[in-house]
Amino acid sequence: MSEQVLSVSSADIGFDAGEPLIERVELSLGEGEIVGLTGRSGIGKTTLIRTCAGLIPALSGNINFAGESLDSKARGDVGLIPQRLGLIQHQTVGYNVLMGALPRAKWYQSVFSLPSSEMREATRKAVEAVGLQDKILTSVNSLSGGQQRRVAIARAMVQNPKLILADECLGELDAETAKDIIDLLRSLADRGTSILIVDHNPVRARTFCDRVMQLRGKRLVVLGDDEQEATPALPVLRRPEQ
Amino acid sequence: MSETPRVVQIFLKRPMIRVALFALILSVMITSHLQITLSRLGNASSNLKVIAQEAWPPDFSVVTDRASWAYPPCELQTDWMCSPAVVGMTQTLEIAFLATVLGMILSLPLAAAAATNLAPPIVAQSIRQFLAALRVLPSLIWALIFVILVGIGPLAGVLAMTMYSVGYLGKLQYEALEGVSREPLEVARTMGLPRWQVARFFAIPEAANSLLSQMLFMFEYNVRHGSVVGLVGAGGIGWYMHYYLEPFKLYDRVLALIIVMYVVVIVIDQVSLRVRSRFIDDEPMRPKWKQVFLPWVDD
Repeated sequence: MSEQVLSVSSADIGFDAGEPLIERVELSLGEGEIVGLTGRSGIGKTTLIRTCAGLIPALSGNINFAGESLDSKARGDVGLIPQRLGLIQHQTVGYNVLMGALPRAKWYQSVFSLPSSEMREATRKAVEAVGLQDKILTSVNSLSGGQQRRVAIARAMVQNPKLILADECLGELDAETAKDIIDLLRSLADRGTSILIVDHNPVRARTFCDRVMQLRGKRLVVLGDDEQEATPALPVLRRPEQ
Repeated sequence: MSETPRVVQIFLKRPMIRVALFALILSVMITSHLQITLSRLGNASSNLKVIAQEAWPPDFSVVTDRASWAYPPCELQTDWMCSPAVVGMTQTLEIAFLATVLGMILSLPLAAAAATNLAPPIVAQSIRQFLAALRVLPSLIWALIFVILVGIGPLAGVLAMTMYSVGYLGKLQYEALEGVSREPLEVARTMGLPRWQVARFFAIPEAANSLLSQMLFMFEYNVRHGSVVGLVGAGGIGWYMHYYLEPFKLYDRVLALIIVMYVVVIVIDQVSLRVRSRFIDDEPMRPKWKQVFLPWVDD
């Protein structure tokens, strides 16, 4: 069995201990695993992602990263792709992607803004991998939604974290663009990165996720095989047979 | 018992009317407390008439004649380049530029430390109090203090304007930094970056356009206030105005200097407006650099 990268046990999630948004969450991600998280809008998916990122404390229970407390994770071990992607507007694609290399920059490289040749090379490769090499000096706010998502994924590729928490990063993309993004996520998972991804579309989620979990009421439940089979997958998104 | 007329009832129900009535009553009370009377306004008009007669027409010799008493001394050969208007306005612009640059360099790290989304609450509050303390004194009082400390001249002006710029810019900047989108900062925090890197590489670039716009605004402000600090000996065109006012009362020359300053400020305002638009507006509204500096030239 692969190593547990993220494990959440008996955790109450939310802002008010008296009325948690999600109760007794049990969740685990193995190395290179993609787990989908679905549920209706406003039910607490983003709050769960932010809690797993360590941005909000869990109301109770444990959240461990690689067997240790979440607070003890090393710099760059966890990457976040928020719903609106968290890109720095008015800055170039290259700048945004390079930010993924910051966790391993030496102090003098960040103080004097002097990225190493290794950081620049990693940025160039990631931008090429997402097909934006001709946009590397373009401001991200002039890119399309799909291209911006590629930038966010390229930033995660440069960061090369053990865990990526992606909140609705597929959004309302058309099927072809969503497939491109999914392929990029799959390539990250193949390199050993675990991915917890929120997707409001359970049909799409089950086409590329190893497991799909759903928030129902205040509980996180595993979407059973029979429930998964009940919804046909879109052919364009179907995961290739291993 | 008679009822309140319906029209009055309707008026009193409207919050804007109630606020306006309150403001009116308060204004009347304050006017009475400050002993402001129309007779005093009458005296002002007669004084204004005297000054206007002495000031008009403006004496533009301040643009053409050499100011042999200029400080620092003007070494140029051409008389008009050493005139009070040119020397004074140049000094004012130089003081404003230096004060803005120094103010920006000092205020940016302070603003990052004062932003509640970037710094711990106790640090943010402490820095805010410090910035507020700098703003308590207007640039004129700072100028008086620095004239006492370093003597008469542009150095006192630069230091005075810098202090005020730090306080003022610092406040504008931490508000801009607090207004940046939460998500890029959360990306940085999830990466495990220290606070200074979150500020330096995520928050400041995200707010860069606002910060640049504020810097330009501060430069304009410093140019306008350069004349005021000059009145107490801190250099710039104000110092030359003061020279003509005390003891000579040469209002016609002062009016000429004011007109020169007005023209320069208008030009700076227009250029600054376009430069800000260059940074803030998105395509296709964003002007090209040529349009910023040469708006009358067609492509």
